[in-house]
Amino acid sequence: MPLKLLLQLSWRNLWRHRRRNGILVLAIALAVTGVMLMNTLMRGMAAGMREAVIDNLTGHVKVIHPGYMADPGIGRGFEPQEGWEQALADVPVAGWAQRVRVPAVIMSERETRGVQLVGVDPAQEAISFLGSLSVEGEALSGAEDRRIVIGATLAEQLETSVGRRLVIMTQGADGLNREAGYRIAGTYDTDSNALERVFVFTGAQTVARLLDSPAVTEVSLRLESGDDIPLALAELNAVFEDLDVKAWQDLEPQVASMVLVADFSLYIMYFVIMGALVFGLVNALATAVMERVRELGMLRALGMRPRSVVAQVVVESTLVMTAGVVAGLALAIGCFVPFADGIDLSAFSETMELMGVRNTFTPRLEVADMVTVFLLSLVLGVLASLYPARRAVKVTPLDAMRR
Amino acid sequence: MADHVVECTSVSRTYQDDAVPVHALRGVDFTLKAGEFVSLAGPSGSGKSTLLHVIGGLDRPDEGAVAVGGEDVTALGDSELADLRLRKIGFVFQAYNLIPVLSARENVEFIMQLQGVDAAERGERALGTLDSLGMRDLADRRPGEMSGGQQQRVAIARAIVTNPVLLLADEPSANLDTGTTGELLELLKRLNKERGVTILTATHDPMVMGYATRQVHLRDGEIVANKAA
Repeated sequence: MPLKLLLQLSWRNLWRHRRRNGILVLAIALAVTGVMLMNTLMRGMAAGMREAVIDNLTGHVKVIHPGYMADPGIGRGFEPQEGWEQALADVPVAGWAQRVRVPAVIMSERETRGVQLVGVDPAQEAISFLGSLSVEGEALSGAEDRRIVIGATLAEQLETSVGRRLVIMTQGADGLNREAGYRIAGTYDTDSNALERVFVFTGAQTVARLLDSPAVTEVSLRLESGDDIPLALAELNAVFEDLDVKAWQDLEPQVASMVLVADFSLYIMYFVIMGALVFGLVNALATAVMERVRELGMLRALGMRPRSVVAQVVVESTLVMTAGVVAGLALAIGCFVPFADGIDLSAFSETMELMGVRNTFTPRLEVADMVTVFLLSLVLGVLASLYPARRAVKVTPLDAMRR
Repeated sequence: MADHVVECTSVSRTYQDDAVPVHALRGVDFTLKAGEFVSLAGPSGSGKSTLLHVIGGLDRPDEGAVAVGGEDVTALGDSELADLRLRKIGFVFQAYNLIPVLSARENVEFIMQLQGVDAAERGERALGTLDSLGMRDLADRRPGEMSGGQQQRVAIARAIVTNPVLLLADEPSANLDTGTTGELLELLKRLNKERGVTILTATHDPMVMGYATRQVHLRDGEIVANKAA
């Protein structure tokens, strides 16, 4: 049967039952819109979690001592060889930072808290959240800075403020406790109270002096794209043979799992919502086909082959599905655009922090997801129509025309 | 025989009606020569429509052989039967059975489209046929915008436009008034005389029988009379 005739008949048949097909298109459109909007939230959440992890000192890739994860401390430090970064000439690297991060106790006149003392070179920290910190007071001026910057939440807990001194106690390279007093240069404010409670920053050389060790505990790299992680891992493994080179997914497996779930959530949501819809679709198509069984029988009596009748029903169903999906995608884009720059969730900051998402939540509408939904819907439309179409051709032309 | 358009040999067909066997055809032998206008006549349940459907490949005999244009119908599958109907047989049904979403011209073109005739030739032949049946002015109307008689004329145009070996008409006058039936029968007669179209009708309308060149009477699934008009 010529395709043009097939499309002509199918198109005109759709317009015969405008109300029914209109309702079908609307139902499909709303379902697709629902799937896409939920997907933009999940994608946004996953991207937010991923960005937060990469920003929060992890980076895309990190080099650490093999024993550091189990026993973090300067005893698990290392000294990167000079010029190691030359090995990354073929990897698109946005930046890297060498840090000393050790567990410590911080004390004010009134309170004591356990923290992570991080020695940094501020010039290297454009790759982490330190590069865009909102600091009350002053930020660190360099690796030699002897002052500290603490989180605003920690300052509240310690009942201290900018300009006052705090004592930090930690374990040195020789295993003995070391302590020193530091003046607070500034307090930083982030979306995450957990970060503010945990991280205390000072110059890398200051920590080296305190610990009596030139070693670092981590080299963190941020890449131009997460797609380059395997390449970076391969290059770094060749340079740091005795150390662990880990991707952020290995360092934060829970977040990686949640991102993976978010990736699959499109399919889960799609099949839950569209799966429910497809029963209605099959029912509506079966009713429509059986109403026309006499007409379809007549077409066969005139010489149309059974498979052409099946093709006609399938094309009609696919056209309905296509119209519904296109309308649904357009509606989803329309709903998405006003929120494309982000949704302010600061009123729910505690909850969002638990989920690892920042206060400004940015939904993401990805073209690849739209294409996936479109293609899946076409397949679903074809599958949903096969049963009604086969029912129609099971009736002989003569029986069909007697109805 | 070479000039036989239809040859039925010992054709039997039995239906199950609520588990009760109904013998619609009992060993019928029937032939139709090219250029004949034959009417199958008989009361309801006599088997005339069943014989017409078996010849048209819309029904299958339980026993016997049916050949149309020299081709054994009983040996064909569903798709091959569809092809046979497409290539060799024109149908005119009691209820017109036009495609409601197509115009008169498109309905007439439909079978040619299935046959793969190119658009220019299709349009020319469809309009020419409609013109010969006095329907050219209604070429762009859809079935719902035409009277019963006009629809039946379009159905005839659709049936003859491809020059089929055989035109089958099942109770063609059933839904028409006397005047329209007369016009229709004149049309069929003209097609038979002028274009040599072989016509087989199933009817219990004496007016239709009167136009046929041969009448075949059936009763209880058997041919009881076969006479030239």
